[in-house]
Amino acid sequence: MTEPITTMPSPFRMDYTYVAGTGRSVFLRGLAERRLMARCCAGCEQVYLPPPEFCSRCLRELEPPFELDGRGVVSTFCVVSFPFPGQRIDPPYVVAHIQPHGAGTRLMHLVREVEPEDVHIGMAVEPVWVSDDELDTSLLSIRHFRPVHYGGADA
Amino acid sequence: MRDVAVVSFAQSPCQAANRRDDMADILLPVIREAVYAAGIGRDDVDFVVSGSHDFYEGRTFSYIESLDAVGAWPPISESHVESDAAWALAEAWSWLQLGEGDIALVYGIGRGSLPADLDQVVPAQLDPYFLAPLAPHRDAIAGLQAHAAIEAGLTSEQGMAEVVVRCLDAATGNPLAQRSGQVDVARLLDAPYVSSPLREHDVAPIGDAAAVVVLAADDAARRLAERPAWVRGLDHRMDTHYPGVRDLTTSPSTRRAVGRAAELAGFTTSDVDIAELHTEYSHQEAILTNALELNGAVVNPSGGPLAGRPVTATGLIRIGEAARQIRDGNADRALAHATSGQALQQNLVCLLEGDG
Ligand SMILES: [Zn+2]
Repeated sequence: MTEPITTMPSPFRMDYTYVAGTGRSVFLRGLAERRLMARCCAGCEQVYLPPPEFCSRCLRELEPPFELDGRGVVSTFCVVSFPFPGQRIDPPYVVAHIQPHGAGTRLMHLVREVEPEDVHIGMAVEPVWVSDDELDTSLLSIRHFRPVHYGGADA
Repeated sequence: MRDVAVVSFAQSPCQAANRRDDMADILLPVIREAVYAAGIGRDDVDFVVSGSHDFYEGRTFSYIESLDAVGAWPPISESHVESDAAWALAEAWSWLQLGEGDIALVYGIGRGSLPADLDQVVPAQLDPYFLAPLAPHRDAIAGLQAHAAIEAGLTSEQGMAEVVVRCLDAATGNPLAQRSGQVDVARLLDAPYVSSPLREHDVAPIGDAAAVVVLAADDAARRLAERPAWVRGLDHRMDTHYPGVRDLTTSPSTRRAVGRAAELAGFTTSDVDIAELHTEYSHQEAILTNALELNGAVVNPSGGPLAGRPVTATGLIRIGEAARQIRDGNADRALAHATSGQALQQNLVCLLEGDG
C-alpha cells in the first residue's frame, strides 16, 4: 500500500481594504498630528477615546471631537516576560491600560522609561510621541507612555 | 407551532462600495428604522441574531463590531451565523418556536467590497484538497452551471438576458437597488463574456449593505403589525460540497426545503403570488423555478439580487421583500429563497402568508 498523504500545499493570500469609518478616522487623523481626539455622548456623558461615531449604549451620535493631552494614570498593567514571533521589543516590558484624564475609556499601550518592577496601578503617565517623520494615522504615533516627572524631579 | 411573523423590514441602499461607514455605522440607521417601524424600543427585543462572513471582512470575529449598533450588554440573548442572514432568521424563528421570547431582531451585514480581489477570497469556499488549489475565479463554477443549464434546455443566453432585463426594469421601482433601468436584450448580448456563457449582466453585482427584519410571535406580532407576514413554513437543506458530484442543472436541496416548508405551511408554491429568489446569476432563476415548481408567481418584483447583492444580506432581503409584499397587501402568499455556497449548494425556503 502507498503511504497516506499527510501534508499538501494550499496557499491563500487575501488583500483587503480597511474602512475606518468617520468616527475612527477622526481619532486616527488626530494621532498623525500628535493629538488625542475624544468625543462625548450627550445621553450618558461617557467620553470615548478612541471615539466611534455613536454611543453603543445610547445609540446616538457623539458630540464634536475635542482634544485630550494624553496624561493619565495606569489603570492596570502586566509585565510581558516571554518571547514570541513578531515581538518588537525584548522582554520584559510593561503593557498597560491607561486611563487618560478626561476619558471614560482606557487606551492600551506600552509603559517604558521605568523599570517594570517600579510600575504600579495609579501611576501618572504621559505619552511619548514619535518624531515628525514617523507620525502616521496609527497608535504607533505614540511610541509609549512614561511616568510623569512632576516639577522636573524624577518620579 | 407558534405563529411567527415578519413585522418590520429595513435595509440600507445597495452600494458597490461604501468607503465612508464602518460596519456599525452602516447598520445603526437600519436598525433604528426597523425598530421604529415596529413601534418598539430596543429593550423590547428578546433575541438578536445576525449573519455575516469574516472572509468578506478580512478579520476574525468581525461581526462583533456590529454589535455596537444593537446595544449588546447583559443580559442579552444573542447569536450569529457565518453565512447569509437568512440562516440567522431561521435560527430566530426556531428560537421563537421554542417559546424563549416573543420578539427577535435579525440583521445581515454584507460588505463584498472589502476584498481587494474576490478571486482571492471565493476559492476559500471550496474544499482545500481538490478545488481550492486550482484557484477558480469567482464566477468559474457558476459558468459551468450556466453552460450545463443551457445544454439541458432550461434556458439560453437570450433567456438569461431576458431575466436580467425584467429584473433591472423591476428595480426601477426599488430606490435601494444598486443597478436598475430599461435595457434591451440585444444590447446585453453584445457584451463580452466574463465566464462563458455568463456576461457581466448575468452576475448579480456584489456590494455593501445591511438589512434588518423584526420577527414577532403570536399576540406580539398582531400588536406590532397591521398585517403581519406570517412565516408559515421554513426549511433549509444543503447539497454535497464538491460540485463535481452534483448535477448542477437541478437543485435537490431546494426541492427538499420547499417540500418541507409547504408541509409546514399547508399550502404549496402554486398558491404563492410572488417569489423573491436569491439568484446570484441569471441562469439560476430557471433552476430554482423548476425546483420550487413555481407556477404563475411574479418572480423578484424588487429586482432581486441581479439588481444588488450585498453579500450575506442578500438572502435576508429576499425574506424582507417577500414580507413587504404581504404587509403592503400586494400578495396574500409569498415565497422567499436564500442561497449560500457555490452554484446553489445550500438553500433556504420560507413561505409567508397574510391574514385572509
Ligand atoms: Zn451614551
